[in-house]
Amino acid sequence: MEADAKKPGRLKMDGWIFFLVGLIAALIVGWMVFPLLLYSEKSQPLIFSHASHGPESDAGLDCEECHFFYEDGTFSGIPGIKKCMECHEDPESPLSENSEEVKLFTDYVGTKKEIPWLVYARQPDCVYFPHIAHVKMAEIECKVCHGDFATRKVPPTYKLNRLTRYSIDIWGRNIAGYKKNTWDTMKMDDCADCHKRKGKENNNACFVCHK
Amino acid sequence: MEFNRRNFLKFVAGGLGGTLLSPLPWKLIDDIAIWTQNWAWVPVPERGKFSYIKTVCTLCPGACGIQVRKVGSRAVKIEGRSEYPVNQGAICPLGMAGLQTLYNEGIRWKAPMKRVGPRGSEKWKEISWDEALDTLTTRIKGLRDKGVPEELAAIDGNQSRSTMALLIKRLLSSIGSPNYLRMPQEEDTHTMVNFLMQGINGPLAFDLENTDFILSFGCGLLDGWGFPGSMLSVWRHWISDEQKKHKTHVVQVDPRASNTASKADIWLAPFPGTEAALALGIAHVIIKEKLYSKEFIENHCFGFYDWFDEKGVEHKGFSGIVLGKYSPANVEIITGIKRRVIIEVARKFASAHAPIALAGRGKGTFPGSLYEFMAVYALNALKGRINTKGGTLITDDVPLAPWAEVEYDSVANNGLTKERLDRAGTSQYPFTRSLIHKFTEAINGNQSSPVDTLLLCSANPVYTIPDNQSFIQALAKIPFIVSLSPFMDETSMMADMILPDHSHLEKMIDIVRPTGIQYPLYALSQPVVKPLYSTRHSGDVIISLAKRIGGSVAGSFQWANFEEAVKERVSGLYDAGKSKVSWEDITKNGYWYTPSHSFGEWTDIFKTPSRKFEFFSTEIELALKAYSKGLRPVGAYALEGKSFDDTLLDLGIRSKGDEVYMPHYEELKSSGDKNQYPLLFLPIEFINLASGWIGSPPFLNKTLFDHQLTKDDLFVEVNPKTASQYRLAEGSRAILQSSKGELSVRIHLFDGAMPGVIFVPFGLGHTAYDKYLKGKGVNPNEIIDPIEDPLSGQPVWWNTRVKVIKA
Repeated sequence: MEADAKKPGRLKMDGWIFFLVGLIAALIVGWMVFPLLLYSEKSQPLIFSHASHGPESDAGLDCEECHFFYEDGTFSGIPGIKKCMECHEDPESPLSENSEEVKLFTDYVGTKKEIPWLVYARQPDCVYFPHIAHVKMAEIECKVCHGDFATRKVPPTYKLNRLTRYSIDIWGRNIAGYKKNTWDTMKMDDCADCHKRKGKENNNACFVCHK
Repeated sequence: MEFNRRNFLKFVAGGLGGTLLSPLPWKLIDDIAIWTQNWAWVPVPERGKFSYIKTVCTLCPGACGIQVRKVGSRAVKIEGRSEYPVNQGAICPLGMAGLQTLYNEGIRWKAPMKRVGPRGSEKWKEISWDEALDTLTTRIKGLRDKGVPEELAAIDGNQSRSTMALLIKRLLSSIGSPNYLRMPQEEDTHTMVNFLMQGINGPLAFDLENTDFILSFGCGLLDGWGFPGSMLSVWRHWISDEQKKHKTHVVQVDPRASNTASKADIWLAPFPGTEAALALGIAHVIIKEKLYSKEFIENHCFGFYDWFDEKGVEHKGFSGIVLGKYSPANVEIITGIKRRVIIEVARKFASAHAPIALAGRGKGTFPGSLYEFMAVYALNALKGRINTKGGTLITDDVPLAPWAEVEYDSVANNGLTKERLDRAGTSQYPFTRSLIHKFTEAINGNQSSPVDTLLLCSANPVYTIPDNQSFIQALAKIPFIVSLSPFMDETSMMADMILPDHSHLEKMIDIVRPTGIQYPLYALSQPVVKPLYSTRHSGDVIISLAKRIGGSVAGSFQWANFEEAVKERVSGLYDAGKSKVSWEDITKNGYWYTPSHSFGEWTDIFKTPSRKFEFFSTEIELALKAYSKGLRPVGAYALEGKSFDDTLLDLGIRSKGDEVYMPHYEELKSSGDKNQYPLLFLPIEFINLASGWIGSPPFLNKTLFDHQLTKDDLFVEVNPKTASQYRLAEGSRAILQSSKGELSVRIHLFDGAMPGVIFVPFGLGHTAYDKYLKGKGVNPNEIIDPIEDPLSGQPVWWNTRVKVIKA
């Protein structure tokens, strides 16, 4: 009788193992395999060291030296090759023996081609983002949104979302969208939260950014 | 441990649970949404550095300041300019979608064209600019050689005081043709009111920003009326936080719950065409309860009280007539508005601090009724709101420098003695500048067309004028038609030659004193992009045409190009304001204006014969008497043996006595038998649908609801009660039949529509343009049976009767 009574119970437990296997397999796929499939890794055309250009370096450049505002208030974004050539002007006498600088001369300065940087912060075209309102008027530091780039020796790996064609940095490097620092994610909700925190809820009206 | 069906299901359930507990589905949903934005066929603006060009929108006479965002040489976005005095950042949907009038290559003429097939067959051959201009020059020279320069006519839709309009009129005058016609618009009626009641030639102006009570008789204030960008910005001001204490009250008179009516504080829906009676009913209450401004009425008005003329004959005053005929009880019968509502609105209007009564219809694209507009304007006078803060304003002209006099040779002088074909400005229509439907009648009524060559500029009458079928008939008789339109519109499709203009973003063009704006403003647009095609500025075309004609015609056009002609006028502004300005300042800003208004004294501002505000219009009296005595310019038809009352009937006036010189209500002749055509057919206008000469850009189609346009079917709005009488349900197909023709439509049931009336939007039913417009919906103008507005002679487009047949 005992054995008989146990048998169906054990059978029941056995069944739940399948459930667990399914659950765990799906969790592994969702949390680990899916991100691997979703993103492809790309490397920047040049390994640009912000650290050796920034305020703390020998070059001692302020952020705004290269990432400046035009007179009409629009933001220059990532500088063009012209800006690089203001210092790296002479292809015959590079400033260092750095292989990346050599690449700068051979591939871009020499051929007068712009460097096809991969932009971590690129937002969709339907969004209008004025840097001047945030940097000059609200006095928000660059790193609040972009992270501390000024001290980076090597740019982070650029991970391209195969579906959206935007950088991983928009959704965030954490697949769950979990956020520790202000710069971890750059979705619309992040804009809205910050506006709300700063008492600028009016700026969350659709047409302020989607115009 | 058998992997049976049951365990498989458990595995699947586990898998599902695990998936839901992972970020996979949520992240995928988000990514897929973004993925859909990146499809190759989704248009995306070019990437690159932005630049902004500041200019003025000239798609309507509203003159809103716009800035156009460009990436490289491509214009990518139009925005309102917040520092521009007119619109302060606001802009209407048409202005915003203006890029599609530039870049939609399916609607643009790309070079001069000559018709090679039969008219309307759309067979064209590209020709050179030289050939095109030579052909037209030879034609006009031929008319002048034959001594019939008046057989050249022009139809012009440019803003009336603009340099373009002046140039076209000047061309016709110097050639010797009086037949310069303008497209009819609401401003014409306002201008007549200004002349008849205040003695001033020019548009009316309203200080809407400072008013606290608007009594609007049909102006679609939120539906694109007059100067939509400015109006949206004013409405925003009325309801802004700082205005909370002095909120502006809006009373909207409208037979349909339009945007404006829905947002108004009080909505009145009188029977269409009885608005004048309603205004006079309100006047009755104000007069009876002595709520009017005594100071203004007694010292600065003529014809309010009964009076005696030089011969000692007693005349009834406005107050006597209004008290006698327009009691709220009588007005209730005429308009259908309850008497207590009339009294309530009158008291509210009278007790407001700064009320304005505003006459108009829809967007103001088309003219209104003269006596009705006078009746509404009279309410402003009753309250002494004339030329006061927050009232109506009498503004100065923009001090533009006049050009040198036109040179006339003997051919021109002779041609200009001929009567205009439309008889506007003659003693029959003394106050009207242009009557396009009379022009149509003159052509259709003759065996051979009295017009040999017709020029069309910034106008698309085949589409926009009421009863357009008659106009099409007239066009068929005209031997040579030249269109200067930039677009492949209905009228240019009927032309023999096309001399295409630039689109509005490719050229400099000006707007002088936009209608209704409270200050004298001169707006000047700038080319935003280089012309995309082999088109030419119509101003330059007119000037080079004059030069080719030679002689005194060329002598009247001394400028090298349009810009020089503008520059000469603008030179008058350099020292006119408080601070000096230069050509560069005006082209850079896009405007010149005098922001402060000097109100002056009531004793000096009125230029009527009595030097007062006239309830009894001396000008009407002079004109009617002159007409009945047969004092007509040469060539007018004979009127012998007609009594004065017959004269009045001749002008469409059915009232008698002193009333005819004053604002009063005229019951309109019905355009059809009420038994045969039981329903009223009322065209309406939407802010998001272009109803003028420029076709709606495709972007605007996207803003229409399915109950307005589905595929090619246009929906008309009908009250459910009316619909049930004809067994029509939502979406039913129906034929609307008037004495002029029929339209095939579908029914949309709308509680906000007045019973017994069918509301049909203007702006669809194009037979030209591209696939986004052609064949979409129907055009109300096709079946409008326009009668003439008494005295002004303008076509009445709101009084057509129809019957509805279930299809």
